[in-house]
Amino acid sequence: MNIAADRILGLALIGLAALAAFNASQFEVMFSYEPVGPKAFPILLSAILAGLSLVLVFRPGDNGEWPDKHVALRLLAVLAVLLVYALLFTRLGFMVTTLVAVLMLARLFAASWAKALVAGVLMSVGSYYLFTLGLGISLPTGLWLPNFN
Amino acid sequence: MFDFLIHGFEVALTPMNLGLAFMGALLGTLFGALPGIGPINGIAILMPLAYTLGLPAESALILLAGVYTGAEYGGRMSSILLNVPGDAGAVMTTLDGHPLAKKGLAGPALGLSAISSFVGATIAIIGLTLFAPLLAEVAVLFGPAEFFGLMVFAFASMSVMMGNDPIKTGIGAVLGILVAMVGVDSGTGVMRYTMGMPELYDGIDFVVMIIGLFAISEILLMLEHAHNKNVDDTMPPLGRVMVQLKEVVACRWAMLRSGLIGFVVGVLPGTGASVAGAVSYTTEKRLSDKDNTFGTGDMRGLAAPESGNNAAAVGSFVPMLTLGIPGSGTTAVLLGALMLYNITPGPMMFTERPDVAGGLIASLYIGNLVLLALNLPLAGLFAKVLTIPRWVLVPGIAILAFVGVYQLHSDLMAIYLMLVIGVVGYLLRKLGFSLAPIILGYVLGGLMEDNLRRALSISGGDMGILWQSGISIGLWIAAALLLMAPLIMAKLLSGKPAAQAQA
Repeated sequence: MNIAADRILGLALIGLAALAAFNASQFEVMFSYEPVGPKAFPILLSAILAGLSLVLVFRPGDNGEWPDKHVALRLLAVLAVLLVYALLFTRLGFMVTTLVAVLMLARLFAASWAKALVAGVLMSVGSYYLFTLGLGISLPTGLWLPNFN
Repeated sequence: MFDFLIHGFEVALTPMNLGLAFMGALLGTLFGALPGIGPINGIAILMPLAYTLGLPAESALILLAGVYTGAEYGGRMSSILLNVPGDAGAVMTTLDGHPLAKKGLAGPALGLSAISSFVGATIAIIGLTLFAPLLAEVAVLFGPAEFFGLMVFAFASMSVMMGNDPIKTGIGAVLGILVAMVGVDSGTGVMRYTMGMPELYDGIDFVVMIIGLFAISEILLMLEHAHNKNVDDTMPPLGRVMVQLKEVVACRWAMLRSGLIGFVVGVLPGTGASVAGAVSYTTEKRLSDKDNTFGTGDMRGLAAPESGNNAAAVGSFVPMLTLGIPGSGTTAVLLGALMLYNITPGPMMFTERPDVAGGLIASLYIGNLVLLALNLPLAGLFAKVLTIPRWVLVPGIAILAFVGVYQLHSDLMAIYLMLVIGVVGYLLRKLGFSLAPIILGYVLGGLMEDNLRRALSISGGDMGILWQSGISIGLWIAAALLLMAPLIMAKLLSGKPAAQAQA
């Protein structure tokens, strides 16, 4: 890759700074008791951010090591597992979703099916009782009726 | 003047708090020893649990401080045994620690690092006891303008000292401050950056922020490391377990010097264990490396950074407790934890909440002894933690992260936000950002704005108030000098274009 990652980052951050500043300029105050108000500090920050990012665009550092396609796909898979874990967390309950999440994560980190399954069962059941009975945290038990809102 | 300490020991020596200090030290050592989880991640993951236990403020802080110092202890294990530093502070430990392990002296190396950590931490705790109350007395003179100047100074010293890229450190800090702006503005009631989501009215929750930034991004990084075949993760044998007295005695000056250096570096706001480790190692190398043995497994080269980084870890409590300005990323997390309890650390804490300030300092004395007692005989056992496979570790972190965030408000939105922050954190780490400035910015951002606005309210909008008193002028000059320093150094040293230093 010839375009340094830092350049892209710098441009993105300048965009973010512009957005943050524009957004801040829209904060409407009815009546203020103090001279500064809610706008000034975010706008000042946006200006500093834009300035620093500009340096990054013109003087990017080295590109770092980025994961190849194979690893990138696995990263996405891990994220997908975590997202699905979150999506189903309350619907299916802690124990079931945790079992599946642990199973899939362990698989993605190169455990065999058998090991992953054992880890899933032990960790989901064990942590459920540790958190609920041991620490008094209430965890979702799941809406077992298939009423997916 | 040491009433607070006597009172503190009364607080810390209650059976519950003693138990918590012990548990914190143990958990901290375990979490610090886990591959890839440094002190800051350990605290981030364990902090939500401290809340669910419903502990009073001083007890929670004692627990977390135990975790903090314990994790600093535990972090050295992967540095010595696997050549993988658990966090930035432990990088220097690998230089002589790992060669020692390769020579078959892993056991003595672990023992020596436990002793040097103890010496360094003890020097710093004594320093903390002596200087914190004095500094607190000075800090009472600080008004909003001085605090604003102090924070500018803290960010300046952080940009120069922390990480290797001042620009990225600066950007990280600004991003952190911007995140702190999200939510209802306390002065006017205006919604800022909430994107119409009611969940964001109270701002981005501290626990969500640190768990996303540290734990989730760590999971993603671990996956990458799992595919990195360059890492040699075979454990060397421990060898004999105990370090000999003459070996310790040979390192006594290295430990004492480095402890002092580490404490001073730790006290400076924004510079933590990583800088201290580097400074004490290079100093020791210059002073006592007569035979060029540093880097090949010299015991003094292990004792120096270990003493230094532990002293700095304790030293960074000084600015946090007296000024409310954390000296490192990890103390920033502790500061955030205190603010969740509606305690604003600062000069008044020694008078208003002596139980918290004194209890914490007393528990550091106790925790440090506990750690030495745990770590000398049990080093071999803790080292086993390093062999926990990633396929157990990662799901475990995921469960702790999910439960920790979910139990805040029983709210899924917080979990989604945590995942988003985690991806951003991962990308920033890949881009060479260190996370400590971001978390410092996030923790200090609100205070910084408050103090600026309060100062300008007092003066009726006249900016002049910001540099009116001697203290604030001094802070502004110090900040400016710090920012100029690398610029001047770069010109003096190599004639390189000085552009890299401008921040």
